[in-house]
Amino acid sequence: MAARAESVAVPNIEELFQPTHDERARQSMVSMLRKRAIIDLRAELKRDYESRVEPALRARDAAPRNWRDIERAMENEESYRFYSTLRYHAQEMCYLSVQPAVERALPEMISLAKDLAVRNPSGGSLRLAPNFEVPRYVTVLDVHLAPGWVATEHTADDVAQGAVVGFGGKVFTGQHPYRKRAGVVAESIAHWLKATRPGFAPRRLLDMATTNGKNLLPYKTAFPQAEAHGIDCGAPVLRYAHALAEHEGIPVHFSQQNAEHTDFPDGHFDLIVSSFFLHEIPVKATRKVLRECYRLLAPGGVMVHMELPDEASVSDYENFFWNWDTINNNEPFYTSFREQEPIALCSEAGFARDKCFKLTIPDAASFGEERYAKFLRGEIASPAHGSGGWFVMGAEK
Amino acid sequence: MSEADRPAVVLPRVTKGKRPSFFEDRSLDQMMTFIIELSTEVGVMRERLDTVERLLDSQGSVTRAAIEAYRPDAKVEAERNAWRDEFLKRVYRMHPAEQ
Repeated sequence: MAARAESVAVPNIEELFQPTHDERARQSMVSMLRKRAIIDLRAELKRDYESRVEPALRARDAAPRNWRDIERAMENEESYRFYSTLRYHAQEMCYLSVQPAVERALPEMISLAKDLAVRNPSGGSLRLAPNFEVPRYVTVLDVHLAPGWVATEHTADDVAQGAVVGFGGKVFTGQHPYRKRAGVVAESIAHWLKATRPGFAPRRLLDMATTNGKNLLPYKTAFPQAEAHGIDCGAPVLRYAHALAEHEGIPVHFSQQNAEHTDFPDGHFDLIVSSFFLHEIPVKATRKVLRECYRLLAPGGVMVHMELPDEASVSDYENFFWNWDTINNNEPFYTSFREQEPIALCSEAGFARDKCFKLTIPDAASFGEERYAKFLRGEIASPAHGSGGWFVMGAEK
Repeated sequence: MSEADRPAVVLPRVTKGKRPSFFEDRSLDQMMTFIIELSTEVGVMRERLDTVERLLDSQGSVTRAAIEAYRPDAKVEAERNAWRDEFLKRVYRMHPAEQ
């Protein structure tokens, strides 16, 4: 009987999310609206700049000297105004389009997450910190225009923001050519680590700012012998992440911790990763997080952070494009993070300069094995960040 | 919505943080919200009609429960995505810039 009980599948918290016919239709429209803005109008904006705005500036002997000059030149152009308003609305509507179905499912989601946090049927764990102090930089704005972001609790044992951010993110990437499913960043980094470091077998790995854990689980699949840990400041996303991992049958130990100062012992991990994280926190906090990574890594350990390409790595026009999110997507530290030089950031945290790296690696899901081999041999470059590649920075200890 | 249908927790629909303005007149920012939401609803209604037509084609009758239960297969979803793409390109087309 015991064996039979163990074989009962762990319910999937995501299957409790049941949008109506019209809510699904709305989500699909928002995904396509997002694509209209971020693919089509982004290309039209660039064409407008290159074919009309920039030549006009040059003709007036006012060629742009940096990305801010480009922004100033573009912000009153119709191409920029309408690209921006469509992009802003598509972003905002991602979350609005999933909230009603999350509200209906919430009582059942909470009761499932609570049950799994007690039973841990797949061998993971969830450790929340009562009276945890969420840093102000996480709570003062709703990052990505997601009302409530990752830490807001609307009720006891709440998981709502885990679902809102997760399903809203699915709408966001629904028509994105390189983000068809969650977890592609972790798959790409794990693939790169295995290809470039044969025999690398971390005993323990840590994902910082793990949110719903979707960019953590692929590491456990790639390195099955590793004990996997995920930390975040937000209790609702951690409860949700834990329920998801237990359903997937992947043991992960989630804990509510600030990545600037965790309670893990020195040298505890062989691999530390994060994705879409450092640009969301003040540079001062980023420096502390990187120092904490140095403390937590064992000798020979590796840290890899998927990040935005730094300002010096891309053209003025691309900087103008990337920095849009700073003001318009509630990501106030975006520009100041991108102004930093990644190698300098890592070496200032304690890593030997020649052990620090920054590069763009191919998206493992779309690049293909044959081309990947050529990339590893240095014969071809990776596609740009967000267009088939992922920018990563990090170091070996 | 009746009292019984009201969810126990109502999530916030407004984002913390200053809303940017992309136009000289903020009324235009507001107007864009109305327009974009309305165009999205046109897509929703069109999809509902498409579901009704497909149910009528396949089984000759339609009920609200059948509409809710309907799930498009990959071919239908590809057709719908092509429609959404064309529709949004048509509605949100930019005038050629004046040189």
